[in-house]
Amino acid sequence: MIAVRETDLAGLLDRVRSGDSLAIARAITAIENATPLGADLRLAVRGASGLCQTLGVTGPPGAGKSSLVSALISILLEQYPRIGVLTVDPSSPVSGGAVLGDRVRMAAHSRDPNVFIRSLAARGHLGGVTRTTRGVIDILAAAGFDLVIVETVGTGQSEVAVAGITDVKLVVCPPGLGDDMQAIKAGVLEIADLLVVNKADLPDAGRTAGYLKAMLYHRGHDETRAVLLASATTGDGLKELAEAVDARFAALGAANPGEAHLIVTRDVLADDAADLIRAFIRHADIDRLCGTVGRGELTHREGAIAAVNLFVDSQGSKE
Amino acid sequence: MPDTSPQPRILLTKSFIDSHDRAIATIALALRDAAMEVVLIDYEQPEDVVNVALQEDVDVIGVSFMSGGQVETTQKIFAELQRREVAGLPVVVGGTIRPFDVPPLEAAGVKAIFRGGAPMADVVESFRSLSRAYRGLA
Repeated sequence: MIAVRETDLAGLLDRVRSGDSLAIARAITAIENATPLGADLRLAVRGASGLCQTLGVTGPPGAGKSSLVSALISILLEQYPRIGVLTVDPSSPVSGGAVLGDRVRMAAHSRDPNVFIRSLAARGHLGGVTRTTRGVIDILAAAGFDLVIVETVGTGQSEVAVAGITDVKLVVCPPGLGDDMQAIKAGVLEIADLLVVNKADLPDAGRTAGYLKAMLYHRGHDETRAVLLASATTGDGLKELAEAVDARFAALGAANPGEAHLIVTRDVLADDAADLIRAFIRHADIDRLCGTVGRGELTHREGAIAAVNLFVDSQGSKE
Repeated sequence: MPDTSPQPRILLTKSFIDSHDRAIATIALALRDAAMEVVLIDYEQPEDVVNVALQEDVDVIGVSFMSGGQVETTQKIFAELQRREVAGLPVVVGGTIRPFDVPPLEAAGVKAIFRGGAPMADVVESFRSLSRAYRGLA
């Protein structure tokens, strides 16, 4: 039996890379909790997400994201032998606790050794994903998953952080979402590669799809995004949706990321950089620097710059 | 804001054929309000519970029974914990637990049994202390 809490980075990484479920889960916990081990893990697997395809799924609460993801997994397993799923739910702003209920809809995959599902609590992070989601994707990629699906919290109009950490973005809209005015507003609809009207078995689905199609039509001939209709309940449209997702991944190939993608990625990188430095400050010896600032020999800004320099130096000595 | 102490992670589950979810929803909300992260699933096979518990890295498994299978299901969960090499992961059960279920449940290794009417504060404290012990936080 393995130790309950890991402290050995190399040993844990070996087990992660061999696909050991518990090791992957423990690594994710360490990253989520920003422990010293977690910070080391993030650095060790940084950029691994380039090894796998990543699909972001977002949309308002109750749109049917989890059910749609579950249905998509079944189809996508044909092309992607091992699939990792990160599903984010909000944390209580009052207690900090959370009810993580997305995988109730994914029960079909509860025992599939090729599907690894992890529920993440947002822990106060805004934007629809967690502070450490990018690091967690890296872990799953290092563990050899071919596709990682990130399902966001139920989003409003402006939670778009998933765009910076996934290659292909699916925005799931329930029927009756709004009208043509809602469809042309800025925000989450802009980051979509594919817009899916789920619950297509319900009335109004066609009308909602029509508003979204009109929005794309207004954007002119170079608009490449698409609106699809699907129903996770009846299965209608799922095959077409999976094909569209696959075609998007294929099209990504050597293509340059669009400007919108770059802008969002820049924000995510800034957050990531802040997290790395924050973790460093927690476990590195920078008390001396704090003392200097405390005695007024350095301003806070100079102290901050010195801290960044210490961080950079520490990275140099690791390589 | 970095975490200074880890939030307990709890798996609450019941059989997918059992539609009685009032108890599990009540406990989930109480644990949420006590700053715990609660993962919910309806299991099809007892072994699924352990697979999900591993992926979610939970500290405690809570199984709710309103119909049958109290002893058999619990024994299968413990056997699977053993097989997956996480025999130390604590399991508590609740709901309709009959007097004659108690000896075999305790023999299987359940850490606590909560029936209807159990004080919520006791339930919450039990999950919290089991979580801390499992994580080696004493």
